Amino acid sequence: MTRPFLSKTHCWSDAAVKALSFLALGAGVSFLLLMIVFVLRESSLGSGFAMNLFDFLVREPWAPMATPPSHGIFHAWISTLVVTGLSLALAIPLGFGIGLFLSEVAPRWVQQAMQPALEVLAGIPAVVYGFFGYVTLVRNFETWFDMSAGECLLIAGLILAVMVLPFVASTAAEAFRSVAQDLREMAYGLGVTQLYVMRRVLFRKALPGLFAAVALGLARALGETLAVLMLAGNTVAVPHSLMDRGQPLTALLATELGETVVHSAKYEALFASGFILLIVVLGINAIIWTLKHRYLERSHA
Amino acid sequence: MHDTAVLSPSANRIGLETYRFALLRDRLSRVALWFCGCIGLLLPVSIIGYLIIEGIHCVSWSFLLDYPKGTPLGTEGGIRPAVEGSLALASIGLSVAFPLALGGGLYLSEYSHSKQFNQIVRFLVECLAAVPSIIYGLFGYAFLVVFLKFGISLIAGGLVLALIMFPILLIAVQESLRSVDDAYREMGLSLGVTRLYLIRRVLLRKAWRGIVAGIVLAVGHAVGSAAPVLFTASIYFSKGGLGLDRPVMTLPTHLYNLVSEAISFDQAFGTALVLIAGLLIFNASAMLLRRLGGGSTQ
Repeated sequence: MTRPFLSKTHCWSDAAVKALSFLALGAGVSFLLLMIVFVLRESSLGSGFAMNLFDFLVREPWAPMATPPSHGIFHAWISTLVVTGLSLALAIPLGFGIGLFLSEVAPRWVQQAMQPALEVLAGIPAVVYGFFGYVTLVRNFETWFDMSAGECLLIAGLILAVMVLPFVASTAAEAFRSVAQDLREMAYGLGVTQLYVMRRVLFRKALPGLFAAVALGLARALGETLAVLMLAGNTVAVPHSLMDRGQPLTALLATELGETVVHSAKYEALFASGFILLIVVLGINAIIWTLKHRYLERSHA
Repeated sequence: MHDTAVLSPSANRIGLETYRFALLRDRLSRVALWFCGCIGLLLPVSIIGYLIIEGIHCVSWSFLLDYPKGTPLGTEGGIRPAVEGSLALASIGLSVAFPLALGGGLYLSEYSHSKQFNQIVRFLVECLAAVPSIIYGLFGYAFLVVFLKFGISLIAGGLVLALIMFPILLIAVQESLRSVDDAYREMGLSLGVTRLYLIRRVLLRKAWRGIVAGIVLAVGHAVGSAAPVLFTASIYFSKGGLGLDRPVMTLPTHLYNLVSEAISFDQAFGTALVLIAGLLIFNASAMLLRRLGGGSTQ
């Protein structure tokens, strides 16, 4: 990958372009660090807040209007967990199925039709998914289940599953495709069925890639805002069942930030929850990165 | 161990029953996979189809070109300020992010000598791409709107969208430059041209399709996302006219407001369809460009 023939700069314009492009790179990348630092700064997590982390995450309710006001986000991360868990529970089996279908079963023309279909699914904006869920599911839930307002965690999870499906499916397909062809041929040569090859060979070999697919779906689902904002119901009560309304973290941020006095306790609580979300997603991304590299190295070896 | 069934029934130890059972399970699994595939194909088709069927009667030239009217505002009229606002935000974002991403991609693929440096930067860029859009909204609100005192304005929203576009663009530039055959670099440099000339006249000409496809994807992504502009750029209604220091309407936030305030579902269907149709045309052109050669070196 090193290109020794590019290693010498010949004249001043080259040097200028090199410096400029380095500056551009630095400017862009430093925004990530700035963002982390700034969200942390606004949350005042440093100043004794860490000690209250338990209160913040578990004990206190979200009641900014009460006296004294309290800003716990227990209801929010529980809702996030429920919605994300439900969406992944639906999207992972279906996504792996589509992945296997694309890499093992589908004829070529179906594969070619499928790729743009998944891209379209991934390209639909969150707000349109939210709207679609609202006019199809929420309204019908009100009549089917005799609910006064149809929004609930179940609907948010269902729509979220559709939203993360293309990411899980295409990553899984890539993982299955990258399993060496010899292994398949050897297995078939021994006379086993295709199902057996999938279960005992492909799944094992593609495992890191499949983990990456799950992690990618998880990161997407955790950070998704508009759809859960429109579908989960936005109440600060702690949900007890899938048919309850709830307020995932991202929806809490989107609802409250616009109406919050800057640098108030509520503002700091919102940025603290944003910071937690940011750290979790970056952690997941680091896992994806490691898995991807591990299995890239293996497939090159 | 029925799942180690061997297809050849000649092996006596494994009975005919087990053999048939294994074949049945194999066939069932293939049916299940076809079923998964059909769902994957049907989902986008049915969602888009539903929006077209329900929304097509709301869309007309006057819907695109009129200002919102009626009481409450938005029940009649059109979405012109939202279209203008979305386009303005996207073009500000692109004009800030693209030079940075082009420079960064050039540095990574043409100037950097250290593989380790490239890996670290690439990791950071992919982190930037993975950050949820609501966090960009938080950051934009705290940093641009409050700290730098930009207020809720076109420029604040445009800069937030630039941040969202930057990693997508950078990865596209780097990948499409990297896929240009090294032979071109060797030939160019052995003819004694400068590296700048090589980049301008050879590498960018070879890689432009991939870069344009990246631009289209980034713009499509930015235009569709509502969360980052919710607190940085958007208001319920504007009378039109754009100013860098003034807030704007955007298509996604307009759709969100129409639904969450239950103003008008007809208008919401129309807005959703306009948004989706615009993005589909964008994505289709990206796909077409990739098919026409992408970053290929032919």
